[in-house]
Amino acid sequence: MRGPALRRGLPMEAEGSKHYARVCTGRTLISLSFGGAVGLMFLMLGCALPQYNQYWPLFVLFFYILSPIPYCIARRLVDDTDATSNACKELAIFLTTGIVVSAFGLPIVFARAELIYWGACALVLTGNTVIFATILGFFLVFGSNDDFSWQQW
Amino acid sequence: MFGLGGTLKPTQCHPCHGRDTSHCPQCPTWLSPVCVCAQFFTGWWIMIDAAVVYPKPEQLNHAFHTCGVFSTLAFFMINAVSNAQVRGDSYSDGCLGRTGKLTLQVLLRGSFTCWVFPLFLSADTNVYPGLAVFFQNALIFFSTLIYKFGRTEELWG
Repeated sequence: MRGPALRRGLPMEAEGSKHYARVCTGRTLISLSFGGAVGLMFLMLGCALPQYNQYWPLFVLFFYILSPIPYCIARRLVDDTDATSNACKELAIFLTTGIVVSAFGLPIVFARAELIYWGACALVLTGNTVIFATILGFFLVFGSNDDFSWQQW
Repeated sequence: MFGLGGTLKPTQCHPCHGRDTSHCPQCPTWLSPVCVCAQFFTGWWIMIDAAVVYPKPEQLNHAFHTCGVFSTLAFFMINAVSNAQVRGDSYSDGCLGRTGKLTLQVLLRGSFTCWVFPLFLSADTNVYPGLAVFFQNALIFFSTLIYKFGRTEELWG
């Protein structure tokens, strides 16, 4: 006769910790989504405010989309026991850093070329900071899970 | 091409003056490549900024872009030669072998020349284009040096 502590084959403590982990993950996901929305808000303010009214800064969206790709590819390809894994990781770091620096450099060059105002540039740079912090937070929190394991394919 | 990996470790620990640095704080593995790559791309964006603000050849001669291109090629080619091949410790010669040291010397001297070459040109009333070329190549040159010599290689991961 089984005791009341076992339900669906799991002890109560394990179910409680699983529930707590789900709640924390949900809250983190909501926080990260909020951060992403705030970053995009800054970007759109820098473009759409009546005193600026220039949509050139929307080109940084390409850099937002491209920035996680090298790291994701390197994580799929890397094998930690292989000597070439360090070269693959460093190539991913090189490309990701280049994309991030370019996302900050592009609005500054636009402002220097007098395509946009410096106020719009400042708003876009703020949005860049928030968005990249959000992407970094996403990979720190959710990137450690091996969601791309072979079993899921 | 991007080296054999490595961490930026402190070479000495002054309180103990010994070789055991295990208790010294270690830099994160990713910090060194990120700083170096940020330096490299900042150099290029300085040049892009100068080219955008001074588009006419009288203000910034388009030939000066070649300095940055050759410095970048030197950056990639220098990192293609492992430190083991330069020291001669490598078990396999690879495609460079003993010429690795000569290649490294030529590329480093070329990169340094690209850096100081604009200094010897006649200064016009507007100095920013010359400064932009100087800083572009300076940043690329120092990022090359730090990426090449500022890390330890870990051949086996």
